[in-house]
Amino acid sequence: MTPVHPSPAPPLPVPPGPPAVVEATGVAKAWGTTAVHTDLTFTVGRGVTGLLGPTGSGKTTLIGMILGLHAPDAGRLRVLGLDPIGAGPELRARIGYAPEHHRLPPDVRAHDLVKHIAALHGLPLREATTRASDALWAVGLGEERHRPIGTMSTGQRQRVKLAQAIAHDPRLVLLDEPTDGLDPVQRDDMLELIRRCSTDYAIDVLVSSHHLEEVERTCDGAVIIAEGRVVASGPLTELRGAAHGVVVEVDEGADALAAELVRRGCTVGADGRRLLVQGGASPEHLADLLRDALADSGVPVRRLQPRSASLEEVFLGVAGGAS
Amino acid sequence: MNGSPTDGDARILERGYRRYEGERRGLSHSIWTVVLHSVQRVLGIKRTIWQKIVPAGAVAMAYIPAIVFVGVAALIDDVGVVDDILPTYAEYYGFVTAAILVFSAFVAPELLCTDRRTGMVGLYLSSPLDRDRYLLAKAGAVGLILSLVTVGPVLLLLVSFVFEGSGPDGPLDVLSALGRILLGGLGISALHGALSLGVSSCTDRKAVASAAIVVLLLVSGVLVDSLVEAGGPPELYAFHLPLLPFALVYRIWGEQVGGEQIDQVATWLIVLANLAWTLGFAALARVNVHRLQVTR
Repeated sequence: MTPVHPSPAPPLPVPPGPPAVVEATGVAKAWGTTAVHTDLTFTVGRGVTGLLGPTGSGKTTLIGMILGLHAPDAGRLRVLGLDPIGAGPELRARIGYAPEHHRLPPDVRAHDLVKHIAALHGLPLREATTRASDALWAVGLGEERHRPIGTMSTGQRQRVKLAQAIAHDPRLVLLDEPTDGLDPVQRDDMLELIRRCSTDYAIDVLVSSHHLEEVERTCDGAVIIAEGRVVASGPLTELRGAAHGVVVEVDEGADALAAELVRRGCTVGADGRRLLVQGGASPEHLADLLRDALADSGVPVRRLQPRSASLEEVFLGVAGGAS
Repeated sequence: MNGSPTDGDARILERGYRRYEGERRGLSHSIWTVVLHSVQRVLGIKRTIWQKIVPAGAVAMAYIPAIVFVGVAALIDDVGVVDDILPTYAEYYGFVTAAILVFSAFVAPELLCTDRRTGMVGLYLSSPLDRDRYLLAKAGAVGLILSLVTVGPVLLLLVSFVFEGSGPDGPLDVLSALGRILLGGLGISALHGALSLGVSSCTDRKAVASAAIVVLLLVSGVLVDSLVEAGGPPELYAFHLPLLPFALVYRIWGEQVGGEQIDQVATWLIVLANLAWTLGFAALARVNVHRLQVTR
């Protein structure tokens, strides 16, 4: 018998649905007298979105509200176009959730658990059985699917949690700290799996994390929470672009150009013949200022390059600003 | 194996992850899924041999006397002698008390406490089930399992006696006996199930819950017995948790417990006390399940 490895399946078509997967407007939540969220306003679009924030910033509480487990004290929350409290069962049937903790029934086999959760979400038993196998194969646990979960490593348990979250083919998957407890190799594998959920399986993903680098590598967008409110949200390209700047490389006249730019209100960092220019109300405004400064100073340009801030710079900037 | 693989034809095909466009069932399917899974878990199905011992032992304790009595009835032709030897349907519960107590102390802790310790409750509540439906599913599972020892053995007696010709006479009597068996069995299951769920909802440790259930039953029994013996009113039996559901069964069959002052208690008080304890423990379970923090 000749084993033939199948070629990767083509990406699945994106199912129709509202462009905003999660939409929050002025959402507030308190536990007793402790305010967790005071004003959450953001939109989560299609693809993979990172939910960023320091430990204790209320990421898990927000996930609970998205699942309809806690009602917001104020504001409006819509998930897949539905109210999580009013349409809880209907909504949760279309959501997959992988909790942060690693505790799962140790004596239950991975396949039995995934099948059970798929059936809970409305799949007939026969379909749940088949899809449990498919989901476990998809996360790389095909050969291990009949092992009791208690005998599995942390990395394998994280994969089981992901498998049970996607087995019933949800529209949205909520992953709470999915790389917690993983070594670097396992972490890379998990991030790749999360990415595949969106690109190959057409499932939107909201992944909570406090690892900026993971979000930067995996996500299309981010929602950054600090001090009970959203300090930044949107596609990563926009978030990075918000801390905009331009690197200007010249052969000569760097000092003259720098002086001209400072006179126009820009901030200039000099590194020999390279200048990092920031300022202006927008990237377009900065480009105008730079054009005028170059024209007035007559300095010849060798290279112009937009400069993107890392997510860490964005996070530190907004989190610092929030506090 | 039939045939042999043809060279070049064999393939290992991975179907891969696909979209699911098939049927999605409603909430009743989700509830039934939890009931079925819970029953399997408690009975040790798909679990190790050690986890089958307690439920198998309890079931054996409940059914072996019934099988023996059916055998006795089959061997002895004299109906008068058979009536003298065999217990009445209400008296049969005296033989299955131990099995009921074992299941009471074992079933709900296995279901509720384990869900909390393993974080399964978070997965359940992130499914279409809400907290009330989750509790309903667990209560259904507890009731079903307890009915295995409260209804099953007595039902076995009835069916066997009917086939042997020593049971109730005529379809009406059989139906009447069946109704009483179901009512009595479900009454015991309801009180013990609610007690078991209520206590189990207070902790995530199975052993603590099991011990608390046994202690609660024993202490309430000993305390009420002592107070009544010391001259207290028989109405105190409304607080006698181990005896109360069996007293209800005796009333359903129109019999007396015998030798107990509980026979002096009015039937309405027995019914009311059973109902109050059942609802009280169920309310305790509901309050605790609603207070659960599940996304951690």
